[in-house]
Amino acid sequence: MATRNRTLLFRKYRNSLRSVRAPMTESKSGVGPVIEMASTSLLHPKRSYTPVSTEDPGTSSKGAVTVGLPPDWVDVSEEISVNIQRARTKMAELGKAHAKALMPSFGDGKEDQHQIESLTQEVTFLLRKSEKQLQRLSKGGPSEDSSVRKNVQRSLATDLQQLSMELRKKQSAYLKRLRLQKEDGGDLEMNLNGSSSRAEDDDFDDILFSEHQMSKIKKSEEISVEREKEIQQVVESVNELAQIMKDLSALVIDQGTIVDRIDYNIQNVSSTVEDGLKQLQKAERTQRSGGMVKCASVLVILCFIMLVLLILKEIIF
Amino acid sequence: MALVTSVRDYINRMLQDISGMKVLILDSETVSNVSIVYSQSELLQKEVFLVEMIDSISASNESMSHLKAVYFVRPTSENVQKLRHQLANPRFGEYHLFFSNLLKDTQIHILADSDEQEVVQQVQEFYADFVAGDPYHFTLNMAANHLYMLPAVVDPSGLQRYSDRVVDGIAAVFLALKRRPVIRYQRTSDTAKRIAQETAKLMYQQESGLFDFRRTESSPLLLVIDRRDDPVTPLLNQWTYQAMVHELIGLQDNKVDLRAIGSLPKDQQVVSLLQYREVVLSSEQDAFFKSNMYENFGDIGMNIKRMVDDFQQVAKSNQNIQTVGTNIASLKLYSCKDVQLLVLVTVIICECFGFTEDMARFVDNYPEYKKMQGNVSKHVTLVTEMSKLVEARKLMLVSQTEQDLACNGGQGAAYEAVTDLLNNESVSDIDRLRLVMLYALRYEKENPVQLMQLFNKLASRSPKYKQGLVQFLLKQAGVEKRTGDLFGNRDLLNIARNMARGLKGVENVYTQHQPLLFQTMESITRGRLRDVDYPFVGDHFQQGRPQEVVIFMVGGTTYEESRCVALQNSTNSGIRFILGGTAVLNSKRFLMDLEEAQRISRSGSHMV
Repeated sequence: MATRNRTLLFRKYRNSLRSVRAPMTESKSGVGPVIEMASTSLLHPKRSYTPVSTEDPGTSSKGAVTVGLPPDWVDVSEEISVNIQRARTKMAELGKAHAKALMPSFGDGKEDQHQIESLTQEVTFLLRKSEKQLQRLSKGGPSEDSSVRKNVQRSLATDLQQLSMELRKKQSAYLKRLRLQKEDGGDLEMNLNGSSSRAEDDDFDDILFSEHQMSKIKKSEEISVEREKEIQQVVESVNELAQIMKDLSALVIDQGTIVDRIDYNIQNVSSTVEDGLKQLQKAERTQRSGGMVKCASVLVILCFIMLVLLILKEIIF
Repeated sequence: MALVTSVRDYINRMLQDISGMKVLILDSETVSNVSIVYSQSELLQKEVFLVEMIDSISASNESMSHLKAVYFVRPTSENVQKLRHQLANPRFGEYHLFFSNLLKDTQIHILADSDEQEVVQQVQEFYADFVAGDPYHFTLNMAANHLYMLPAVVDPSGLQRYSDRVVDGIAAVFLALKRRPVIRYQRTSDTAKRIAQETAKLMYQQESGLFDFRRTESSPLLLVIDRRDDPVTPLLNQWTYQAMVHELIGLQDNKVDLRAIGSLPKDQQVVSLLQYREVVLSSEQDAFFKSNMYENFGDIGMNIKRMVDDFQQVAKSNQNIQTVGTNIASLKLYSCKDVQLLVLVTVIICECFGFTEDMARFVDNYPEYKKMQGNVSKHVTLVTEMSKLVEARKLMLVSQTEQDLACNGGQGAAYEAVTDLLNNESVSDIDRLRLVMLYALRYEKENPVQLMQLFNKLASRSPKYKQGLVQFLLKQAGVEKRTGDLFGNRDLLNIARNMARGLKGVENVYTQHQPLLFQTMESITRGRLRDVDYPFVGDHFQQGRPQEVVIFMVGGTTYEESRCVALQNSTNSGIRFILGGTAVLNSKRFLMDLEEAQRISRSGSHMV
């Protein structure tokens, strides 16, 4: 596809026009040209020093664009993106730890488990923290700045959601493979225990359990306790991530729908605020005339009626 | 390379080299160009956190110097003025200016003059000056589309502006494709001739350096034709998905505005969908739409039913997740200290693993599920609404007669059918008007008495009918004005073909019509496009067959024709066709243009 760059021509015109303008301003000001250092911001490290003739500070503000520092919330958003980056690297480590734990080893896999647990907790903690910070990011009225904040929030929410889903997939893949491994090993044990406990069933009436049987029962107890712990872990992490996803899904744009259209978003910036106000007013009204209030009043009336009946009963008898 | 990809590449290139937070500023035309190919979420990925219109950007004085401004606007004098004001008091840190077409030197001068603070970092021309709705179909979305029907003397400056915009659009398409074409035009149309000649001047004389691309073995062809050569296609009712939506409801920039429909259904899911009142129908983003956009109404119904069934399966499996939650909760009640229950617990635990997998899968797949639900609701709503409209306006009946008028012969039978429908109370005014127009176009010269009777009947039955509209249409697009063989009754070969088709019978009586464009494309494919009817501009010449053809229809295209082009491209005939127009017509829009042109020509004749 063809393009044409007109920047050179533009710069040529601009320079020639500037030289036409500059001698005029020099003749006006009594003071000679003063070189003023334009304030640099984090985003423009390469801005050069622009010579500006300052005879009156009022007019000189036209000379240098106040490249100010970005507003505070940008710091928050940068912090969130740093956290997301950190979570990403930790997830890479977690992937490696998963692979290592799955490899057959002679020793007790406890330290691998610990590492995996700690890494998973760290990642989940980072994700949760980022999500909380994200909620704080949106505020303010219908100004342009709030649109920018909302869009930054949406973009970070999409990244967070992606990370959460990745973490979920990694975890479930790891658990699946772990279970397969354990089943191959543990099944054997279970079968032995099962057959022996069936044999012992006949002597079940015998109250005296031999030591051998006790140890077998203890072992199977341990295995099932471990299994339950693992399930608990899975359930907890699934719950947490489900919670994160639910919160995020309100922010993330559904691709392919009308909210993903640029022209729709431009048109609807102003109308959403009005709609929001109407919704709030309606909610307030329904709350006041809400069902709860009616229920409570009905119950109170019933109480009074019962009281009256009670008193009447006492009087009659 | 498809047009959609070209525009996307342009936008990617605009944004990729600029780091940091950006604001994208568009004007009322480029907003359509960009929105139809690029989504908001993709912009967010490129760190564009604000999108504004060039009009509203100067409304506030809030300085946002941490943002870099990327302008993508048309190089009109109004936009240049607005830019001037902005540059004099810049709100943003940096300015990167991209124009969608050629800049004049004077405009660059004006911009350079106003850039005293030297905030402009680059000025470029990126030629995405058209709306690429589908891969092989583009439009220019022009507002005053009716001007092509009027002679030049009526509104010379208006026509000049019209012609300039068309030339700019065509030039942008060829610059995006990096080709310089051989140009042919329809002899009988003055507007087409004018546009063809001005395009040739631009490409071969004024900006010949810019258009000097690497020559391929055969030059591509630009064919400029006039809508009035085929006035039948926009008047017909449509039965393929995309065309039908545009005809019955209205499709603008691949968006459907559901507010146009009177009453909306109260179904729970549909209500949540309709809170937005607009839906997107884009073949790039919606796989179901992509495979069904050219299918006829009956097949769509079946496919939608299949989609709904699939979706209900998924929904049902998600119901099971509810029971899973209770299962896991009840696990805690069993204490593992009880030896006899150990086995039971183990069994339940193993079972639970299966369930937790389901739950995990549900959480993973929730975004997909939501998207599927939205998509299903959208298509179901659209098809339901269209069925209701078909029922209310008796369109099956009307359309059958329309197709007969367009495709088959028999003046007497046609007259009877049209009269019957005119007498039918449930047929709406616009449908009556269309029927009479189609009859008039077909049987213009046969039996003028009966034609007159139909005009009178139409005038008496339709209170809002503007007098003489049908006659105006005949003056514009009557048999003397047309080049092509619209009804297949001029050329002996075409007559024979029609007879053969009549004997064979048609698959579907509602979609038997083929637009004239199909014949034109066939002639080009065979290398038999007549020089007499479609002469070359100047001393252009084409050896053999072109491999790329851009057909530009002055006055507008229809979705039936874009379907025709897409189907032709899929036959791999060795030639790739691209279709473009000044607007995308449906019958309402075509009639509106006719009325407007008639009104102006009437008032003009009063002045003269």
